[in-house]
Amino acid sequence: MEKQLYTLNNQELDRVLGIWNEKSSVYVPVGKGEDIQLMPLGEAERTEDYINLTLPVKEMVFEQKEKLFKWKRSKDHIEVTGLSGEHTKNRIFYGVRACDTYGVSYTDRFFGKEFPDTNYQSRRAETTIIGVNCLRAGKHCFCTSIGTGVFSTTGYDLAFTPMDSYFLVEVGTERGAELIDQAKPYFKETDEGILKEKDALREKVEESFPLKMDLSNLWDDMARTFDADFWLDEAHACIGCTGCTNVCPTCTCFNVVEENIDKDEGTRVRYWDSCQSEHFTRNAEYHNPRDAVSRVRYRIYDKLKYIEERFGHKGCSGCGRCTDVCPTYISIIDIMQAMRKTAEENPEPPAVHQTTKIRHIIRDREIKNRHGLYAPDVATITGIKQETPEIKRLFMKYDDPELHKSYEHKGQFFQVTVFGKGELPLSIPYGPDQSDELVFDFKDVGSVTDVLFEMKVGDKVGLRGPYGHAYPYNSIKGRNLLFIGSGVAMAPLRTIIEPAVKNPDDFNQIHILASALRYENLLYKEEMIQWAKVPSLRVQYALKEATDKVKAHQGHVNDLLPDLNIDWSNTTAMVCASPERIRKVSGDLMDLGMNPKDILVTLETHMRCGAGKCGHCKVGSHYMCVDGPVFTYEEMMALPPEF
Amino acid sequence: MNDISDAEFIMVIGSNTTEQHPLASTRIFEALDKGAELYVIDPRKIRLTDFAHAHAPIEPGRNLPMINAMIHVIIKEDLVDEEFIKNRTENYEEMKESVRDCTPEWAEELSRVPADTIRQFARKYATTDKAMILFTMGVTQQTTGVKSIRALANLAMITGHVGRPSTGINPLRGQNNVQGAGDMGTLPDFLPGYQRPEWPETKERFSKLWGDFSCLRGRNIIEMFNLMDEGKMKAAYIVGENPVLSDPDQIHTIHCLEKVPFLVVQDIFLTETAKYADVVLPAVSFLEREGTYTNTDRRVQMIHKVIDPIGNAKPDWEIMIEIMKRIGMDVNYQSPSDIMDEINESAELYGGISHDRIQEVGIQWPCPDKEHPGTPILHVDEFKRGKGLFTVNDWEFIGDQRSEEFPFLVTTGRVTHQYHTGTMTRKVWTLALEYPEGFVEIHTKDAEELGVKDHQPIRITSARGSIVAPAMVTNRINEKTLFVPFHFAESPANRLTGQNLDPIINIPALKVSAVRIEVEK
Repeated sequence: MEKQLYTLNNQELDRVLGIWNEKSSVYVPVGKGEDIQLMPLGEAERTEDYINLTLPVKEMVFEQKEKLFKWKRSKDHIEVTGLSGEHTKNRIFYGVRACDTYGVSYTDRFFGKEFPDTNYQSRRAETTIIGVNCLRAGKHCFCTSIGTGVFSTTGYDLAFTPMDSYFLVEVGTERGAELIDQAKPYFKETDEGILKEKDALREKVEESFPLKMDLSNLWDDMARTFDADFWLDEAHACIGCTGCTNVCPTCTCFNVVEENIDKDEGTRVRYWDSCQSEHFTRNAEYHNPRDAVSRVRYRIYDKLKYIEERFGHKGCSGCGRCTDVCPTYISIIDIMQAMRKTAEENPEPPAVHQTTKIRHIIRDREIKNRHGLYAPDVATITGIKQETPEIKRLFMKYDDPELHKSYEHKGQFFQVTVFGKGELPLSIPYGPDQSDELVFDFKDVGSVTDVLFEMKVGDKVGLRGPYGHAYPYNSIKGRNLLFIGSGVAMAPLRTIIEPAVKNPDDFNQIHILASALRYENLLYKEEMIQWAKVPSLRVQYALKEATDKVKAHQGHVNDLLPDLNIDWSNTTAMVCASPERIRKVSGDLMDLGMNPKDILVTLETHMRCGAGKCGHCKVGSHYMCVDGPVFTYEEMMALPPEF
Repeated sequence: MNDISDAEFIMVIGSNTTEQHPLASTRIFEALDKGAELYVIDPRKIRLTDFAHAHAPIEPGRNLPMINAMIHVIIKEDLVDEEFIKNRTENYEEMKESVRDCTPEWAEELSRVPADTIRQFARKYATTDKAMILFTMGVTQQTTGVKSIRALANLAMITGHVGRPSTGINPLRGQNNVQGAGDMGTLPDFLPGYQRPEWPETKERFSKLWGDFSCLRGRNIIEMFNLMDEGKMKAAYIVGENPVLSDPDQIHTIHCLEKVPFLVVQDIFLTETAKYADVVLPAVSFLEREGTYTNTDRRVQMIHKVIDPIGNAKPDWEIMIEIMKRIGMDVNYQSPSDIMDEINESAELYGGISHDRIQEVGIQWPCPDKEHPGTPILHVDEFKRGKGLFTVNDWEFIGDQRSEEFPFLVTTGRVTHQYHTGTMTRKVWTLALEYPEGFVEIHTKDAEELGVKDHQPIRITSARGSIVAPAMVTNRINEKTLFVPFHFAESPANRLTGQNLDPIINIPALKVSAVRIEVEK
């Protein structure tokens, strides 16, 4: 678009806002001091005397609480209605600073691609953003150091720059141009000559910024201070109030909560969640891959590095709000300075996971759910099998048979909803040619599985998926396959075992090593006996307790590896276990001569939304749910040690 | 509050400030930034100790010997402020005599704080100009609660750390409006504005406002529950309080609530206490009403209604008025502001604080008239009673001690993300998730001896009752000492606490109970 430039007399601003307010709802800054918010025009006196909005404009398009869908159970079916479009329409936000327009350009990117977030897109499509450039800095402003300000360069429909008695108005989008048209008589076209004046003003404002940091070495400094002592001080100080993430223009994490009217009716909503909460990454049985230090450090690394690495946008817009609100004075500015100082005076060897070149392809995917990304399709349980005392197998069909026809088998797991209770990821334990029925194996470990475990044939659940990056098939044809799994962790391996058993000629030798405490706890006991009938396939068991049911090794699965006697260089291993077990098994496999690129592992750490949006499963710049859960061992070792 | 930021020395005793008063702790961090020193007295290595210059890992319940020993050191080493003592106080000699034998070595025996640490605390406090003391329930909820506070007053007065900015002994209030509730006479022995009912001028003043009324001293909560137990108290009306979880000796509390013939509970949710009520009156939350809160600064601040009341719930004042009308009283309040007008007339401390003056910024009482700007610092030129009275606070122990049967002491408190009995915070998903359940902090060494692993459920039993909660094995607590938060109905800390009371004002010793531990299989 050709650069469109206008001027608007200061005196005419309110008249123009009034004109726009006829067709839209115009929101303007009101309040005083540090308490500034966007309010509908006319509800309170508009102010121009403010440094910044207390909360970034993001809160208007990614609201603190949003409804995802509602569900209602009647006699023999459950009705699901997507609610992503339930919000205030057609709003114009006037007075947004450069740091926040930058933030919006990032959230547009974040929510808009891969699995597009229907809630965000619906709100954003009804939002117009008018930036007003800053003429002075707040106490903790550092946009000039980060490079996101001081004047807006992106994320606005119109950008105003206050120049004495008039505003310079720059048009950023078609939507902005339409607004000009609506109030055309008040806008005077001008030429690019005025940009010189604007630049001079910008330089003057930049000059006045109290805080200037040279961040050219930042990523190198970060790689050399990952384990620095100062992180312990920051961790001691953090009380987990989550204020920093609540005020951040680029924070996008959320948690979903069931809000039920009764047992037959409810709504699933999402609320902002915070990586600074202890519970954000806590798994069952108190296990938490992030301790106090990695929790505090993660936020800083995400803002200064991981977001930019993945999305190409700065993850920190330099607004300084997190530093303003911290009750214990944790300051991203001080931390950047501490990184610089420590990297200079007392550097560590660069952390491998910060310098690694191993990156994942970001795949653009779309889930063809009927009611939006986060609303499940209803399915009915058609069969139940008790696999082990703790593991059940559920067979189900979509209530809408069309969904089976359009089913595409390209992921690794589904998000299964127990209406009124919650949602959890379950692996797909079947091959690509099964499309008329969905099957899940699961262990009773938490409040959602508690209910799922008690369900009967005819009961209804919700399904979203399939999600995730699955085990490859075509690229490993012709090789030896080695499957290593214990207990319920055999389930994901079955996506490859099933087709391999049907097409054994696709592969050379196939080995399945199944481990458990005792034989009864093994998943797929009968199937494994059947699979073992394939001539090129061998099943071995490693059990802690002896059994008379099958011939089994009494001990660890690792003990079986040296005797497999296969060409390790032509072998692909698929290991499904806890990260600690994966490390042990993979170490042994590498000792035997395997390349870590040929060891495929799954990391199913606290995945919630499945679509790379809620943020819970992010490790470094990767989302376990979309980049994984299947990784090569080489990729796994290149992740920060926080999974 | 801003006085804290300007202090040069802050002694925190019996207060887990970062967890319970995070915004007060912000001021401590500001002071630290400016170079202040922070000393902490607590049986646990609370978060503040990570930033403290000294920590006294005191035995629960033994504050008084340590404070008296600090006074002893200051007198012995001649670090007293003689001018202040001479001009502003009385009874110094008697107090001095009473601490003659309170040597740091004597206190070390009792408090387990090394004598040299006590000396360090005493010297630093006495020799720093702007030295302030912050305290909370770790000092007061003890059998020696009153004596310890008086001893802290002695400590502040011998060093002249009173009546100036960034000095004094400062209680951080446990609730947003506990100060205001006390100011308004929800104390058994005061009418609003700390006026004793037995003073003739009180009777005269209130009779003008309310007509003839009973002017007898009331009962405190411990006495009331005992009267229910004895069958003498026939009805109870509990407003915004959840004694089933917050009062000592839960089994006794529940017994009394079951026994009292008529029980009314007024609260915003159906609390554990409300489950025993004959009538539950639904009240609104702070978002649904107008009025004022008086904070720890004695600052009276407006709250504004944000949403309309949900369902049939009403603000507390409206419910009260409905009841007053039904018992035949002639009441005529249209709004909280009308009530404030009456407060202006009845309590001199609030004389000039009207709603229209505090719309934006609150006023600190005393504020006797409409022109008065409020009073940021008390006791500037004169104490309320005139001269500051030194008191004698001899150490004498009442209450639970370790024994063969009960070899541990348990102390109770809170965590950052839960508030009091969890009536509100346990209903908020994010707070509930952050601390979903109770726990027992136990020292690593004790856990090893007992074979207790981290997160393993353990049963702790006192002479009153017993609870089960997962162990939190840590070296951030004294040995032979446990900590249990009291928010959780599933593991109610106050089933363990008892009726050991401070003999002067009957505050229960919630911070010290002797218990034993059994490992749950």
